[in-house]
Amino acid sequence: MAEFSWDIRSPLDRALVAGPYGARGEDGVTLIEIRNFDLVQVMTRRGAAGEMAKAAQARFGVAAPETPKAVSAGDATLIWSGPDQFLVLSKGGRHTMEALAPVFAGSASLSDQSHARALISVSGDKARAMLAKLSSIDLHPDVFGVGAAAATSMDHTSVTLWRGKDRNAQAVFNVLVFATFAESLWHTMLDSAAEYGVTISHSEDLV
Amino acid sequence: MRIVCPFCGERELGEFTYLGDAKPQRPAADAGEDAIYDYVYLRDNIAGPMSEHWYHGGGCRAWLKVTRNTLTHEISSVEPAAGAGAAKVGA
Repeated sequence: MAEFSWDIRSPLDRALVAGPYGARGEDGVTLIEIRNFDLVQVMTRRGAAGEMAKAAQARFGVAAPETPKAVSAGDATLIWSGPDQFLVLSKGGRHTMEALAPVFAGSASLSDQSHARALISVSGDKARAMLAKLSSIDLHPDVFGVGAAAATSMDHTSVTLWRGKDRNAQAVFNVLVFATFAESLWHTMLDSAAEYGVTISHSEDLV
Repeated sequence: MRIVCPFCGERELGEFTYLGDAKPQRPAADAGEDAIYDYVYLRDNIAGPMSEHWYHGGGCRAWLKVTRNTLTHEISSVEPAAGAGAAKVGA
């Protein structure tokens, strides 16, 4: 049998062209695709919410989110994705399926989403203006502060949206989108951001 | 029209899918043909407050029970359908 090796590539490998895009001389929106992350969906089993909460607290040192928010837990981010469920986002193989399976044995069902989603980080002066074209979520800082999260839709595509830590005193919005819809949403994002001027890149680091 | 999801907050209609009347209850297995026929096929055409199932597929993927006035679209209550959220309902 012929040897075959899987070549792991980002779903945006083809669509993402690093560099400037759209209006010249403007730098309103920064789009960074974050690659090669570990993402595990944790879904509480019926009647095991207390047990799951204890397991999460012991593992991450923080309480798992019970309302739409993203909780920073040192080397992982716990992002609410629905009632009694959240996503564990991390890097470097510390919180993979294999690592978390014994932690939540009996209290939650896990599903590896590492290669099922693309992660796009949106920042810049015009990030809110650009996202307002795609989302009906109120992103005003008074309402959607650091750590706020929403399971919502953009351009008819389900996404998980949350506000990360500010970077260079600017708000950072993270969007997790299904891998097969990533290219479509990416082009829609570029169209929305073009008038403000876009800086495009990809990164291996979670922000 | 907007629906206030008990898990997510107020969201636009586009994130939801309509299932239908939330009132019919599955009859017992020995309830007889008329009861099954009624459950499967017969629906009231309500002009006024109606209990409905909606699915928040574009958001938290929870099933909701919504009371909506079919004349005005006014929504008077939204609650998780049985089983939506392991901890909150039907645990």
